[in-house]
Parts: sequence; structure tokens; C-alpha cells
Amino acid sequence: MLLNDRSPAVVGAAAAAFASVCPYNLSLVGRNYRKLCEILPDVEEWGQIVLIGILLRYVIARHGLVKESIMYSLQCTESSHSAKDGSDVDSGLVKESTDLSGTCDSEFVNTVSRCYMEGPDEYLSRSSYANRESFELNGAQFTSGKSNDDVKILLYSTSPLLWSNNSAVVLAAAGVHWVMAPKEDVKRIIKPILYLLRSSNASKYVVLRNIQVFAKAMPSLFAPYFEDFFIFSSESYQIKALKLEILSYIATDSSISSIFKEFQDYIRDPDRRFAADTVAAIGLCVQRLPKMAHICVDGLLALTRQEFVTEDFGFEDQEAGILTQVIMSIKSIIKQDPPSHEKVIIQLVRRLDSVKVPAARAMIIWMVGEYSSLGEIIPRMLTTVLKYLAWGFPSEAPETKLQILNTVCKVLEGATGDDLWTFKKIFSYLIELAECDLNYDLRDRARLLKKLPSCNLVSLGLEEETNDLPENDLLHIVAECILGRQTRKVKPESFSYRYYLPGSLSQIVLHAAPGYEPLPKPCSLLLDDLNVAEGTSEMKRAADYSGTDDYGSSSDPSDEESASDYGSQRSVTESSGSDRGDDSEFTSEGNYNADPLIQISDIGNASENQNGVSQSSPANLGELMSNKALESWLDEQPGSSNPGLPKQSQVRISSARISVGDVGKRVKQKSYSLLDPASGNGLKVDYSFSSEISSISRLLVCIEVFFKNCSSEIISEITLVDEESNRAFDSADKTAVVNESSLTSSDDVPTLVPMESIVSLEPGQTTRRILQVRFHHHLLPLKLALYCDGKKLPIKLRPDIGYFVKPLPMDVEVFIDKESRLPGMFEYARSCTFTDHIVELNKENGDSLLVKDKFLAICESLALKMLSNANLCLVSVDMPIATNLDDASGLRLRFSSEILSSSIPCLITIGVEGKCTDPLNLSIKVNCEETVFGLNLLNRIANFLVEPALS
Amino acid sequence: MLQCIFLLSDSGEVMLEKQLTGHRVDRSICDWFWDHVISQGDSFKSQPVIASPTHYLFQVVREGITFLACTQVEMPPLMGIEFLCRVSDVLSDYLGGLNEDVIKDNFVIVYELLDEMIDNGFPLTTEANILREMIAPPNIVSKVLSVVTGNSSNVSDTLPGATGSCIPWRAAEPKYANNEVYVDLVEEMDAVINRDGALVKCEVYGEVRVNSHLSGLPDLTLSFANPSILDDVRFHPCVRFRPWESHQVLSFVPPDGEFKLMSYRIKKLKSTPLYVKPQLTSDAGKCRVNVLVGIRNDPGKTIDSITLEFQLPPCILSADLNSNHGTVNILGNKICSWTIGRIPKDKTPSLSGTLLLETELERLHVFPTFRVGFRIMGLALSGLQIDKLDLKTAPSRLYKGFRALTRAGEFEVRS
Repeated sequence: MLLNDRSPAVVGAAAAAFASVCPYNLSLVGRNYRKLCEILPDVEEWGQIVLIGILLRYVIARHGLVKESIMYSLQCTESSHSAKDGSDVDSGLVKESTDLSGTCDSEFVNTVSRCYMEGPDEYLSRSSYANRESFELNGAQFTSGKSNDDVKILLYSTSPLLWSNNSAVVLAAAGVHWVMAPKEDVKRIIKPILYLLRSSNASKYVVLRNIQVFAKAMPSLFAPYFEDFFIFSSESYQIKALKLEILSYIATDSSISSIFKEFQDYIRDPDRRFAADTVAAIGLCVQRLPKMAHICVDGLLALTRQEFVTEDFGFEDQEAGILTQVIMSIKSIIKQDPPSHEKVIIQLVRRLDSVKVPAARAMIIWMVGEYSSLGEIIPRMLTTVLKYLAWGFPSEAPETKLQILNTVCKVLEGATGDDLWTFKKIFSYLIELAECDLNYDLRDRARLLKKLPSCNLVSLGLEEETNDLPENDLLHIVAECILGRQTRKVKPESFSYRYYLPGSLSQIVLHAAPGYEPLPKPCSLLLDDLNVAEGTSEMKRAADYSGTDDYGSSSDPSDEESASDYGSQRSVTESSGSDRGDDSEFTSEGNYNADPLIQISDIGNASENQNGVSQSSPANLGELMSNKALESWLDEQPGSSNPGLPKQSQVRISSARISVGDVGKRVKQKSYSLLDPASGNGLKVDYSFSSEISSISRLLVCIEVFFKNCSSEIISEITLVDEESNRAFDSADKTAVVNESSLTSSDDVPTLVPMESIVSLEPGQTTRRILQVRFHHHLLPLKLALYCDGKKLPIKLRPDIGYFVKPLPMDVEVFIDKESRLPGMFEYARSCTFTDHIVELNKENGDSLLVKDKFLAICESLALKMLSNANLCLVSVDMPIATNLDDASGLRLRFSSEILSSSIPCLITIGVEGKCTDPLNLSIKVNCEETVFGLNLLNRIANFLVEPALS
Repeated sequence: MLQCIFLLSDSGEVMLEKQLTGHRVDRSICDWFWDHVISQGDSFKSQPVIASPTHYLFQVVREGITFLACTQVEMPPLMGIEFLCRVSDVLSDYLGGLNEDVIKDNFVIVYELLDEMIDNGFPLTTEANILREMIAPPNIVSKVLSVVTGNSSNVSDTLPGATGSCIPWRAAEPKYANNEVYVDLVEEMDAVINRDGALVKCEVYGEVRVNSHLSGLPDLTLSFANPSILDDVRFHPCVRFRPWESHQVLSFVPPDGEFKLMSYRIKKLKSTPLYVKPQLTSDAGKCRVNVLVGIRNDPGKTIDSITLEFQLPPCILSADLNSNHGTVNILGNKICSWTIGRIPKDKTPSLSGTLLLETELERLHVFPTFRVGFRIMGLALSGLQIDKLDLKTAPSRLYKGFRALTRAGEFEVRS
């Protein structure tokens, strides 16, 4: 590799090539890692950007996250798992984190870091299943930044890059520090990042978007630099809005006063949209720092006074927006601590007269209802307020009217004593008005509310009507529910945002751009693999796997092998399995694979694997459990792997594979029609290719033929005869029941092994016959004659090349070995699209109980399609590991077979690309010595894969 | 990786299209882009990263020309944006400005430049000095020559020697009769003054620009008298990081010709050279404006080309503004600009007048922000001083020059 080169100029280009050719093959970086780090500052700037990304991925894959980094501290807060590993370290860390950044939002950072690791799609979708445990980072996946030289050298060599002239380099370097650097060192990225804000407007926006995430995760980092986020009037609206958001995150008690002063200036900005945002930001600030609430509310109230001067004329929509925003901010502030803001509510109510914006009015009225029983003054003024509202009711906007109704209802519910009558009168007046309103929403609401409070009155004994008690109670509860106080603490906003690696395009557009890769799994790259990868053949193979293999799994491949082998072993040998007959899981596992159609793995290997199984039984159990869930990821650490594993299996590279055990049961043979009832006097003949292999001669293909009598009369004397042979041997026609044993011995195999004739077929009856046919050509149809009731019907039997092969069970290694021996002209490839799985996935969606992996669904549907259209043996399914949930790229299925007539092996590999939910692009590759046959088979496969599934 | 670069004129016409990879990007993406620009206005134009249905677009707007780059896959967005900025810098450097006509006149050069700057979607040579060696900048002689000979290419036949050397930014062994180095400090002052007249923020962004014409492979060291005042720095790739880390000395092998050695930021300055005192009082459908401008702390050098600009609020019908010094213009889109020039000795320049508000409006509730521009020659307002400039491999004679200049950057006065 050129990455080896001494010259920095070459390395830059080599890095770019590496990133575009084999970005996953991080093991290649290993040997040169140190040199690359040292050379990094001298590489030309564009190369630096790429190289930094590669090095970061390598370090993560090699050593895992850094214990002292931000990313880690949150992991330890949540997963007690890691606490076990180093409780002393953790406690130290927690302390450190608290005094370093008391306000560090751990949950948020946790989300972010997980998103970095797995890609948000995967993470978010998984958290919805609520089984986060599957991604438990154990302590071993972390390394100490202080003790690990590789991490140290990376940080050391990237830190001068923070001074680079190229903003992209700075951001890339900052990203490395953000993820890897010890907490106390993260500070150093802040100034350079902020300095980037001074570069062009376009990059300013991008940088701010990244700062936004940083600041949300660790506000304390940016808190001292709040001045940098002050806004210039010349900036674009997006930048202003971002700056406001960041300011509201990083405001602290010490800086808030100057920030508020700024905000006051912004409110008078000619850009009213921005002013409205500012008001909202004030609300946010106060929610973070309740101390400032009083000052802010005063300021906001003053604003309402100011605004409604213009509001009288209502000449601009945006002014209305500001006012609404003001009231909303006030509302959110009051919500935090209602009792202390009683006066504010009163002031707002007084101002009702002048506030004309419907939304704002509605909100004030809502507040009246919500806090109607609060303090001492409000209850006293309620009567007046309600009277005032009732008086103005007809002229209000619908929105406001709804709120008035609600409020009156709420007040009525809580009312006691003298006021009640007044309220009741107002209420009934309003209901009457509302019921005749033009707006149907309003009429509906009125009818609903009319019913509700009556119960309240009944229970107080003021209404003569006597309802039975249970209903009464029920109504009461309903009323409570609908009108009840909603002052419950609002849950902290769910982090619905998606987070991507800092500096990535995806972070800006907030969806995973094609090609976006989250960080590799920590410690997925092991030292052994580095050594293994030195050999050229292995390197090639590793590239074949496109780096998606979890190298960690190679530590105990025999476990995995045995897990998937077991079933086939059982099905073939029918062994009693006495050593583990006690495990019910095993039997069911075996049953899955009992179908002879699918033999997941090599049989010849079984004895060797049995070794491994018996030696590593306990670990195997867990393995099989996951296997039962049709997934066999392995990410056990090398340290924890079984010591007694056979040596030779350690060396083998294996990829993550799934066993698609139960597919066999679902394989449906496609049936073709040979004769339809219309032309066959009510006799319907269907045939399908069977996967059985002829016992007579290897040139024969087995066909299952179904005869069905669709007519109302009995059909008798049905037989199928080869037309040509029929002509030749005229004598041996109609009842040519030839002894089969005589045929087996004969050398020249007849075109058709004559079938047993069906004596008679009752109406509606179906009979099945196995036909053994020898096709002369694998594309041309065979002409046959069907005799029934003494009539001769010519029919054509079309061959299916998919059944001119028979399964050839083999191991993956053997497969790859054979494949590598059939290169060049013996290898044919085609691509096509595949859509079957979409139906499958949609089906899955409906079925919430059975949450299946999307990959699995794809594999299954793909394998099913293949196996039901051709007589093949599924060798292996390779799954990508490092991809996100939605991206099926890297999935690879291998099928093996041999040509019936010549016993030449024929290997088929299907690679999948594309998103799970979209049509997938398949690349089909056939390796076969017989060129013509291989090509035809390839075309056949491509054709049937494209065909939509029959449902 | 970038797949395609488009240059659009301010009317949305595709002036130039440069496909970078095998995957052709259809021109229709520009139509899509321009449709959105028209329908969404400025807010779309100021979005640097746009996710279109088929591609991700990076956009940089310079002097009315939109540079668009397309990609379909994940890449650092700053890489795209930074590259476009470099392209625009290089182009304006080559063509002596950037506008539609100049680009259309020099298509060949622009294509040649893009060819060198980006290769298969990956930025390659972006250093202006090296590009100059490969592609001769346009001038009268070459134009005449190309017309006469019909040979339109001005790509030089030889690769610049630098590509082979370990210092890619410097051509091999240039020769000069007189060795000269000029160092310019160019500073921009950003300041925000709030409504109360208090200084909210005052910072200086500076650049050290070096113009070197030195023979051989010179190794320069530049040190400042007061490096401690520097808050942030960014360096040209030629600067060695370690000496700066240890004792804040700039040690570098300069490229040939003019380049930006470093840029820096100095924060929390205490005062501005100018004061601007706007007064706006508004009642009865009118708004009286009175703005005073004067020198606060005399920096010791003359303050040149003072300008004042502000956007009139949208609710204003007409404006009647006069000044006792300089000229007042109200441009289209309601920008009022007051060109003062130098401040006279005998009087304080003031702008006064009335704004007539829209009819229903009683008084003005939004107030404009004034943007101030000025220039001071021969002075670095930050107070940063260059201590000395040494050449390690001393040639026979070295001429060193030093200049300083301060301009207003984002100097805003709120009213």
C-alpha cells in the first residue's frame, strides 16, 4: 500500500484512495498507524481531512473509546455494567465530571455518543423496542487515553491541526478530540472552532450546526465564550437562529444578564421573525435558570405593553407572532412556579382588553382557567373576568372562544359558594351562544361541556335531577380528566434529533447521507487479525468480506460453526446427540434445519466441530440462544473466549452468519401448467420441478406432475409419453408400463422414464406422479404426448435450468477456495433488483409481537426465492456488521450446486446493496466451468429474482 | 467526493459546468436550485448545504456568482465549502475581480484552473502560488499572442518543481536580483455597540500577509513583540507548529510571492477609534433621526473613508435626510448610506432628518442598526507588533518591509 510511503504528498492521495476503495479495511492501517500519525501535520490539507477520519475509525476499532472522554462518562452513568469493571475509576470520573461541568447533560451526551457509534437510525429504532441492553458497552471496550499510546499520539498529532488554515481540517481535528480526548482537554478545541465562525458565511453555518450539538452536550465548554455568539445584523436568518439557540443553551448565572441585554436589543431588530425567536429564547433561558424568572417576566410584560400599541392596527402578521411568542414564554415561565407569578397573571388578564391577537388571547384565557384557584386575588377577580369574557364572546375568534368555554368550565368545576350561581349563569349563557355558533368545532365543544359540569353540580346537591350514582361518578372522573390541572411537570423533551459524527454532511442535513458510516464497533479490530491480514490471500478475502465482518468473532469461530453446524449434523447423521440431549433448545434448533433442502454448513466438518462443541458447552448455550433468535453475532472479547478451543480454528476467519434454518419449511415449488382444463377435456395437469434427484440416472430431472380432474366425468387411462419415442416404438405405446429396474441398467437413458399410468381419475380428484425426464437441451422445451381416454394431446414441457443442478453442500472456506479457482471467463455477473422483501417487511410491521431483524427478513425472502426456483444449497449468509439498520449493503448469500449431468460445481454468490425498505440492487455472480450453462443459469436466476413474489 | 461544479450568474444562468467524476450530474439540478431560490428568496440562498432530491448541494455566493458543488455521498461539508471558497479566491485573484463578464471572457482559464484544483472530485492543488506557475494568469500579451497564434492554452508544459520537493508550496530555486520580504498586518475590527452606547463586544481579526521574493530556500522566523495578546491563530501550511507551541515564534519556509501567513484574533479590546451616536425619536407618524460621528481616542493616524450604512425599517414611506459633511444616498432596497470620508477638524459630522412612517403607524418600534466602515493606514489597532524577522540562510542583502492597515469589519451600532 502506498500508505506506507514516506512522502507526505503520497500519503494524502493514498488516504483518499483508501477511503474510496476500502474504507472498512482498517486492519491495513494498523502497521502504518504510527507513521501516519507522525506524518499527519505534513500531509497536504485536503488529505489531512480524510486521513483524520480514517485514523479515528482505526483507533476506535482497535482500542475502543477513551475512558476519560466525554463519550465515556455518560456511558458509565447509565450502564452499571461498566461500573463493575472499574468502580474506582468511575467514581473518580463522576466527581471529575461534576466539577468540570456540572451541567453536562449526561442523557443527551449518551444519546449523541450512541448515535455516533451505531448511526441514529439503528439506535433510535432500537430504543423504541426498548431493548437497549444489546448494545452494552463493557468496560473492556474502553481504553485509557492516558495509558494508550495510540490514542495519545493521535491526539498529539491532531492538535496542531486545530490551527490549520483550512476550516474543514480544523473541524475534522476537533471531531477527533471531541470523541477521543480526555474531558479536561476537550476545552482546547473550543477556541479554534469559534474562530472558524469568522470564516465565510457558508462555513459559519456548518460550524454553528456542529457547535449546537457540542453546546447541548456540554454547555460549560462554551459558557465563557458567549460573546462570540452575539449576533450581527448582517447575518442571515438561519445563522441568527442558530446563535440564539446556542446562547440559550450556554447561558449561565454569570452571563445571563449580559445575554439578556443583548436579547433586548434583538427584540427591536427590524427582522421580526428573529425578534419572535429571541422572545422564545428568553423563555428557554429562564427554564434553564429559574433565578432570572422575575426579571424576564417583567421584561416580557413590558414588551406586551409595547407591542400592543402597534397591535391596535394589526398591520403585520409578524407582530402577532411576537406577541404570541411573548405570551407563550410567559406561560412556560409561570408553569415552572405558578404561585410566585400570581401578579403576572393578573397583569396579563388586565391587559386582555388590549391584546387582540387571538392566539395570545386564547393563551391568557387558558392561564386564567388553569390557575383559577391560585393565590387570593385571582379567585376574587374571576367573576368580573368571566363576565367580561362572556360579554365579548360573540366577537371573539373561534380559537379564543374555545378557550373561553374551557376556562369557564374549569372555573365552574372548582367553584364553591356564592360565585357558583354567577358562574353557572355565565356558563349556560355561553353554551347557548356557542351552540349556535358558525364553527362546528365550537358547537361540538359546547355540547360536550354542557354535559360535563352537570355532575359537579349534582354532587353538590344544587341540581334537583337525581342521577344514579355510578354514572355520576363516572362523569365526574371524566370531567376531572378533561379539565384537570395539567400542571404536571412536562417531561424533559425527548431527544428526537438525530446526531451524526461531527463535521459530517449527515449532521447538517440530519439524515444519513449515502455512504455515512457511524464509528466502527469499539475493539472490533484485534491484533490477531492484523497479523492474519499480513498474508496476501487473507487480505484479499478480507476485502471480499468488504470489511463488514466482525473480526472479533474470529476468536471463537468454532463456537459459531458448531452453532450453525449442529442442525445439519443432526439432520444428516440423525445422531442421537447424547452429549447434549438435555437441551430443548438444541432439539428445536435441529428441527429447524431438519429439512434436507437447506444444509447450512459443511457436513464433513462436523466431527471436527463436535470437538469444539463439547469443549465449549457453556459458552455454546448462549450462542445457541442467540442463534435461535436467528442471529449469531459474536462479539466476545478475546480474553473471555474459551481457552480450550482447538488451535486450528482460531486462525480461521469467519464472518457473522445467520442460519436461515426455517426457510426450508417455507420453500414453495413453483408450479407450471402443462395442460389447462379447456384444452384437455377437463383434465388439468400442472407440474413443478422437484428437488429430488433421480435415482436412475444423473441425466434425469425429477418433475412432479399433478393431474386434476376438473370435469364432472371420470377420466381414465392417463399417461404421459415422449412423443418421439412414441413414434419410434409404436408398439410399446398406450400401456407402456416398463419395469423401472430394467431402465437403471440400460446405458442410453430414455428421454422420459415412463410413468405409471393413472387408471382413472374421479371428478375433483388430484393425483401426483413423479416424472423423470431427460431434457436434451436446457432451454428448449420437450414435446410430450398425453394420452387420456384414448385421446392424444400434444404438450410441451419447458425445462427450468434451475433444476438442472443439484445441491452440493460445502463449507464456506471450500466455497471461497473453489470460487477463487474459477476466475475470469468462468465468472459471470449480472445485477438486478429485488423487491420481495418489501412485502415481507410490511408484513413484519403489522406483526408487532415478532420483531424481526430487517436483515433477516431480506435474507429469508431472498433465500426463499432462490431455493424455490432452483435446486441449490445455501452455503452461507454474510451480514454486514458496521452498517446502520436500514442499509442492507454488504449482505452476501452464497449458494452452491453442481450440474446434474456433468457434476461440475456451479457457485452462485448474491451481493445485496441498497436500503432495506427500498428495492435492493442484487449483484449475482455465477462461477462455473461450463460457460454456456453458467450464463443461462445466471439469466434464469436474474429473471426469477426480478419477478415479484406471488402472494 | 464532489461530482460536479456549477457557476451560476445572478440571473440563474449556468455559466460554467465542470463534471468531475464519471457520474454525470444533470444540469437540471441547477434549475431545481434556481426555482427554489426564486420561490424561497434569500433564506434559501443563505443555506450553504442543501439536500436536493438527487444530490447534496454546497453553495457559496461571491459577488453575485453562485458556486454550486454537487455530491451524492457523505463527505465533510466544510471540505466542499472551503474548496468553493478557495476556487472563488483563486478566480478573483486570477481575473482581478469576480463577475459574470470576466468569467465568460476567461472560460479557458477557469476550466484550466478547475482542472488543476480538483481531481476526480478530490481537491488537489489549491495554493495560488503554485497554480500561477502552472497556468499563466491572463494578461494583454498572452491574449494578443493567443489571438495571433491561435494557441489558446496557457498551461505551462512543465510541472512546477515544487510538486516533487518536500515543500509543496514553494517552487524550486527561484532567483531574484534583490531579495525582498514585505510583511503586512491587515486587521479588521468587529465591534458591537448597544443601544445604551456601551461597547458590547470589540474584537480584531488580523492577517499577516507576506510578500516574499527570496532566492533559494529561505528559512524565515518571525516573532512578535507581544504574542500574548493573541487569542486564536491559524496558520498557512508552511508554518511549523512546534516552534509556535514552545515559544510562539513563526518559523517557516515561505512560498514565493504573496500569501497569507497567519490569521489571528484578539478579543476584548477596550475601545473603538470612532464613536457613533444615533438618536431616533418617533411620535405622531414621524421619526426624527440624528446621528453624530466623531473620533473617540485619536489613534494617531488619520481615519479614512468613513462610511455609515443602515437599513431603513420597512414601515417607512419616505425619508428626508441631510448631513453637514459628506454625502447621503438612499439606495434601492431602502439602504441609506452616508459617506463621510475623513472627519474634518472644525466640526462633527452629523446626519439629521425625518422619516415619514406609514399612515396608520403612530410611532416606530423597530430601530435600524448602523454599520460603520473606516480604514486606518499604518496602524494595527490591536497593538500587535512585529518584533523581528530573521532569515536563517542569510543572502547577501535582504530588504524587509512592514506595513499595517486596519479596517472596520462588522462594526455595528444599534439604535
